[in-house]
Amino acid sequence: MVRPSTLATTLGAIVVSATILGWGGLAAAQPGGDDEIEMDGEGDGSGSAGPVDEGEIEMDGEGEKDLETDLAADPTDTVKIDTTSRELKPVSWQDIVVVMRKPFLKIRRTDLMPFLSTTMNDNMIRHYAAGAQFNYFLTDVLAVGVEGQYYTKQFREPFDLVGRQARRLPTINKYNFSAALNFHYVPVYGKFAILDQKLVAWETYFTAGVGVTQSEVVPRDPRFGSFNNLLITPNIGASMRFFLFQWLTVNVGIRDYIFVDRFEPVGRSDTMFTSPDVAKENADSALINNVMFQIGVSFWIPPTFEYTTFR
Amino acid sequence: MKNQSFTSVTLAGLFAATALLIPSVASADDPPPRRSALDEQPAVRHRLLLVAKRLEATPMFESTINADFRHFIGAGLKLEYHLGDMFSIGGMIVGSTSLDTKLTKRVVETLEPDVNNMTREPSVQEFTQRLNTIPLHGSIYASLTPWYGKMAAFGKAYVNFDFYFQAGLSFATLKSDCASSICNDPMPGIDPAPADPLVNADDNPNNDPPLNSGFRPGLYLGGGIHVFINEFLALDLAIRDYAFKDNPSGADFNADLAVQDDDSRFLHHLFVGVGVSVMVPFKVKRTR
Repeated sequence: MVRPSTLATTLGAIVVSATILGWGGLAAAQPGGDDEIEMDGEGDGSGSAGPVDEGEIEMDGEGEKDLETDLAADPTDTVKIDTTSRELKPVSWQDIVVVMRKPFLKIRRTDLMPFLSTTMNDNMIRHYAAGAQFNYFLTDVLAVGVEGQYYTKQFREPFDLVGRQARRLPTINKYNFSAALNFHYVPVYGKFAILDQKLVAWETYFTAGVGVTQSEVVPRDPRFGSFNNLLITPNIGASMRFFLFQWLTVNVGIRDYIFVDRFEPVGRSDTMFTSPDVAKENADSALINNVMFQIGVSFWIPPTFEYTTFR
Repeated sequence: MKNQSFTSVTLAGLFAATALLIPSVASADDPPPRRSALDEQPAVRHRLLLVAKRLEATPMFESTINADFRHFIGAGLKLEYHLGDMFSIGGMIVGSTSLDTKLTKRVVETLEPDVNNMTREPSVQEFTQRLNTIPLHGSIYASLTPWYGKMAAFGKAYVNFDFYFQAGLSFATLKSDCASSICNDPMPGIDPAPADPLVNADDNPNNDPPLNSGFRPGLYLGGGIHVFINEFLALDLAIRDYAFKDNPSGADFNADLAVQDDDSRFLHHLFVGVGVSVMVPFKVKRTR
């Protein structure tokens, strides 16, 4: 009674040890470290038949076949395989493609991004804006969203110089707020190492949308009132997104807001275009490209995700 | 009782101290916690050393960003030697031509065509001839390349890239061509005859020499990206800031009614550059 028990214990210990060592070996072969995203249902080292990993997809034709069905099958109902004419291609290392799984999935997730932005291409007036974007990812590369911005202004050095040196008062508008409906597409995806230590994934995405911008005339003579314009504003842009956590990314980008703005008419005085309404009716129009640099932090909802593909 | 109480407290204290020490002792005796075998390994194996120990020669184009009065567009050459995978030293020189900005064009359209010293506004010549150009500028710098990686466009085209940051010294030669018939004040802001109360400085900055030409040393900052087309060719995109003393308009900046040296100030001149980098030697090494 003692020997069989000892033998069973020994065998059991060998099996368990082999299983544990096997798991250890597998684990060491994975691209791991603290950066790796843990998978639900990944091995606990017990070797027991646990629940099927929800992350795996069942393949057609795979899995255990019913033995009785196999035995009952007609042995003549087979297809003879021609092994003589098959082209034999040796497998080389070039046939084996190793692709690192994306560390971040966006599909069916919402991205809430507060951001700050500033003007890049106006040498008279610089706008600073605080805003937010709300984007929903239909796929991993396509998103639809809305954005809103509130602007503040700062006059730049040439605004004063033109007045003092050239004795000219510039005609400029400031922007109050804008809103847009946008589509985003992600064509470029990559990863980089920082100081040869830490890997960070990133991507580049393009944005196109349409919205409205409210601009306000800055009167050359403060005695006369200003007027507002509500402008249809298409926009295009390119941005980069850096993936820091499952729930947080950092975005930087450039956006071009394009609109036909209406400016204070030349010659406005006590006798001409005095009231804002008349001035607005006689406003001068010009096509404006308001190029803004944006930086923001995205919070992703839900904050986690699960893979539905093989590792 | 007191003694017993003291003993109890002492024992309790010793017990607590022991309890606190046990984990640290245990952790010292036990094998270290399990870590991934990859923890100590390099982030990237068999990496192409695309820049290390290579000379980078980059013919390039540059253009100002958001210039005030004149855009500068030019071509030049960047030479850089990469001492290692992250550090490099180099220099660049760019020759430029100038284009008036939209602001300048709009101001010029409204100025009086001829010089009129009875008004305080400049004429077209007084305004335009005072503006300076930057025919030549460049820098010497040290560069850090802390980020490298690879990216895929549309899941098909895989390319290597790196980001770099540069800091160093800049220089520029500035030029303004104000004719002697326009800039004809021999002593701007200076009373030519202090003893004579009837003769004063003309208080007209429009006829003063602009004092915005010559050699200017300064500081340089830059940042950019290499996108490697193959193992020895890369697209080089960069933003560069050449900071030096300048008075681009050549006019009276500090409103003392004279153009003098103190109207120049330390200004940032932002450029965007694009070029093609050729890496020598052409053959590239890999890490282990």
